[in-house]
Amino acid sequence: MKFVVNGAQHTTVAGPLTTLLYVLREELGLVGAKAGCQHGSCGACTVLIDGEPRRSCLTVVATLEGAEVTTVEALGDRSHLSDVQVAFNEHYAAQCGFCTPGMLLAATALIKRKGGPVERDEVVEALGGHYCRCTGYVRILDAVVAASRGERLGAMAPSALEIRGVAP
Amino acid sequence: MKAVGASIPRYDGVAHVTGASRFVDDFRLPGMLWAKALRSPVASARVLRLATARAEAMPGVHAVITHADVPKNVVGHQEVWGIAADEPLLAEDEVRYVGQLIAVVAAETEGQALAAVQAIEVDFEERPAFLDMRQAWAPDQPQVAPDGNVYFYYPDQPQRQIRKGDVAAAFARADVIVEGTYRPGAIEQAPAEPASALSVVEPDGRVTIYSTSQALYYSMEITSRHLRMATGRLKFVGGTVGGGFGGKLDTLTEPVTAVLALKSGRPVKWRWTREEEMLCSSTRAAWHIEIADALTRDGWILGRRTLTLHDAGAYMRTSAYACSKHTFHLAGAYSVPACAFNTFVVKTNHVPTAAMRGFGVTSASFAVETHMNRVAEVLGMSPWELRLKNANRVGDTSPSRVAYANPSTVSTLLAAAQAAGVDLPEAQRAMTNARREGALLPAHLVEQQREPVAHLLAWREGRPALEGGH
Repeated sequence: MKFVVNGAQHTTVAGPLTTLLYVLREELGLVGAKAGCQHGSCGACTVLIDGEPRRSCLTVVATLEGAEVTTVEALGDRSHLSDVQVAFNEHYAAQCGFCTPGMLLAATALIKRKGGPVERDEVVEALGGHYCRCTGYVRILDAVVAASRGERLGAMAPSALEIRGVAP
Repeated sequence: MKAVGASIPRYDGVAHVTGASRFVDDFRLPGMLWAKALRSPVASARVLRLATARAEAMPGVHAVITHADVPKNVVGHQEVWGIAADEPLLAEDEVRYVGQLIAVVAAETEGQALAAVQAIEVDFEERPAFLDMRQAWAPDQPQVAPDGNVYFYYPDQPQRQIRKGDVAAAFARADVIVEGTYRPGAIEQAPAEPASALSVVEPDGRVTIYSTSQALYYSMEITSRHLRMATGRLKFVGGTVGGGFGGKLDTLTEPVTAVLALKSGRPVKWRWTREEEMLCSSTRAAWHIEIADALTRDGWILGRRTLTLHDAGAYMRTSAYACSKHTFHLAGAYSVPACAFNTFVVKTNHVPTAAMRGFGVTSASFAVETHMNRVAEVLGMSPWELRLKNANRVGDTSPSRVAYANPSTVSTLLAAAQAAGVDLPEAQRAMTNARREGALLPAHLVEQQREPVAHLLAWREGRPALEGGH
């Protein structure tokens, strides 16, 4: 099976029913996609296949001939972060960081599909299948909406105490 | 203090948003094996036979371990605090809960390890399970542990108890007694990252363990007991934890991978499936809490009696500690001059319960605050007024007789009322935590403010009582 991963051609030696998650992590060493539940419930393994967010733990390589796969490793690096990555960092949308790669890819696909600012309910719809145990989701929604508007704070978002005016 | 309340970049923020943060499951080492476990399918049984020869001969298998391979199999999570060791790393002649670990295989792939687990032969003689902690004293119940279903804090005293003031007198002179039962259920912490560990035996014989522990040194101490190795021969690598919420205080994966690595001579990784995480990682305990308050008609709490049962599950882990914390907090944030609190740790055939976000205290807070609402309803008074009246003031004492130097109950209540848009009468809005006087110092609270204050630890250690609290 031949497909493209982050712009590079890859020919897998794995059997046709092997999951894409396994190929990414064990064959290619791309460990950004996480094995959170391995049955399609948590979204931590999400990658883009031909631009659409897909669960790599449920996607078998037999379905990937000629496909283009994008993982978090291709979104941007430390010196060239994407708008979504910047927003997630500035808005404290990543706490433990385990669900973050999947969230970033789903958010990136949503913003690209809309081609402009997105509303909060659209983010809820698009990220509804992504489990985050830490944040309570509010900061994630803030980040995706800000990224869709191309907003860069250039600083960290105000804390709850700052918003209420009881901190410096 | 410039940092307090200010927005500061996370040290790991950029690593998280680039997917560069390395969790335990993200490490790969040359020659690394994968572990899979055989777990109990039943809540209570004798293990009649356990045979691993067939599994050991399976393709790719490098090691199969049972209890016989663990240098010190039975360890306690809180031995350092005097709680006796009671929990085997791998089951010996019995299993006490669904999912209890019996044997673990290390093989070249997860698939090979799983196939070998299925080849392990085990025979059970199932026993009736004990699942309802409320039956702890009922006759003819199945016994979970050899020393019974109720843990004893002291040789002659099962309960963690607090006694303060004259409770009998408080109930004798009460206008109203309000009783309630509160039963917060068990909760799975459900971190996004399942428990995982990776152990490597270094050339010098030291063992390096990549751990998802949220308490690295605590896990290292427990692992060192199981391995009978000094902590100086163990190196724990942690710090990137995919959510813990208390569940990753348990030290269940690290010693297992270490024993497998020592036996196989290869690095061994074990990552739990989501099913294992839900089925047999510890949960927050279920609780049964009964409260009876002796009250005056105008809403003063004269005294409180409580009975708490805590479902420890099959082994003690951190339950004794959780129940101590629970008992100390049963007055809530209020001044209760006469207390008789009794808390029992009950062992059942449920999965062992352990830490989760303020464990021990959240159950007490839930019960106390729900009870305060019930009291207000019975007395026909505002729940805000009831709370503000009984809220701790400077000089009030806790159930364990620590005098509060600067309690924040009043300011917290006023802030909560404001945030909730509740319009309190001016007299209540003007309240502070200042020492009680006038209408806020009824006769029944005078005495406790005069009592010499003994710090609980000072009392336990036989040191002279500390005056004035802390």
